[in-house]
Amino acid sequence: MTFFLSKTQVIAAFGAVLLALFVLDLVRRRKLSEEYSLLWVIASVFIALLGFSTPLLVWITRTLGVMGEASTVFAFGLAFATAMLLYLSLKLSRLGFENHALTRELALLRHDFEEMRRERTGEGSR
Amino acid sequence: MIPPRVLVIIPAHNEEASLPATLAEVRAKAPGADLLVVDDGSRDATARVAREAGVQVVRHPVNLGVGGALQTGFHWAIDHGYDIGVQLDADGQHDPGYLAALLAPVAEGRCDVSIGSRFVESSGYRAPLNRRLGMMLFQAVVKLAIGRRITDTTSGFRAYSREVMKVCRYDFPQDFPDAPLLIGLARRGFRLDEVPVRMRERQAGRSFYTLGKQLYYPYKNLLASLMALIRRPV
Repeated sequence: MTFFLSKTQVIAAFGAVLLALFVLDLVRRRKLSEEYSLLWVIASVFIALLGFSTPLLVWITRTLGVMGEASTVFAFGLAFATAMLLYLSLKLSRLGFENHALTRELALLRHDFEEMRRERTGEGSR
Repeated sequence: MIPPRVLVIIPAHNEEASLPATLAEVRAKAPGADLLVVDDGSRDATARVAREAGVQVVRHPVNLGVGGALQTGFHWAIDHGYDIGVQLDADGQHDPGYLAALLAPVAEGRCDVSIGSRFVESSGYRAPLNRRLGMMLFQAVVKLAIGRRITDTTSGFRAYSREVMKVCRYDFPQDFPDAPLLIGLARRGFRLDEVPVRMRERQAGRSFYTLGKQLYYPYKNLLASLMALIRRPV
């Protein structure tokens, strides 16, 4: 094994390719929207790049002063995971706001609707 | 002077036990005001008992919390042309006998938000220690933020002018609408005032402050207060 520095690098490289393929397949099957696939694809392509290009991995490790090439791969993986979580928190907050507004709108419309229906069917019937 | 149109907004979450008495009391003591019950995703007969009492009811399909329920009330108030909105608890803590006193400063244009305070005059109310510490903390936070002492920041017995409701229907603190709300409103240039009231023990049902919320409360409210202070009012 000369091309790869360690087994971890092999696992990271092929794992990243599998992840990218899986994410793209999810988009194909309309399970995952293009928007949410973006960060995943960027992350897996980047990790795959580190995995398959030993000179790049070594250069980044030296430049950043990281102890060991495997740590570099994991550090970038963790950075992407953090970015993804923050992105999801943002989206979740926004969904929460929108959900509140929709709930309110629905409640007010339902009130008007029920009132109109009562008027049409005459008093007394609830 | 034309008397202002007043809407009493009552957020209610599983309050079938205490709601009828509260509604009857508001009717008796404030005959000029209209009532709106915002049923905030109750699983009991809250909406039915309110409807049977002959008041308007808006039902949330899911629970949004007090802040969300009040916002629905503000939307209603704006859409139906009310001049003043009053927030009143369903559980009977707030004595509708004080409604006239609470409304007066807003109706006369002396302030935009009127807060029913347990502490302007000594009302004999003594909260448990943890509650008291929280109250002191947020009293200090509000004083620091807006340079004015609000004795009862956690009071949920308030009257809002139409202009305030126009802002609050879109922008209102969720979960615990107290100190951050007051800071945000003061930052927008609205005038706050306090009116002495006495509050009672809740008549039935359960308080919504669970242990988890008690721990979350200081964090959330301190952060929200800070944000209300530094955020540019829109």
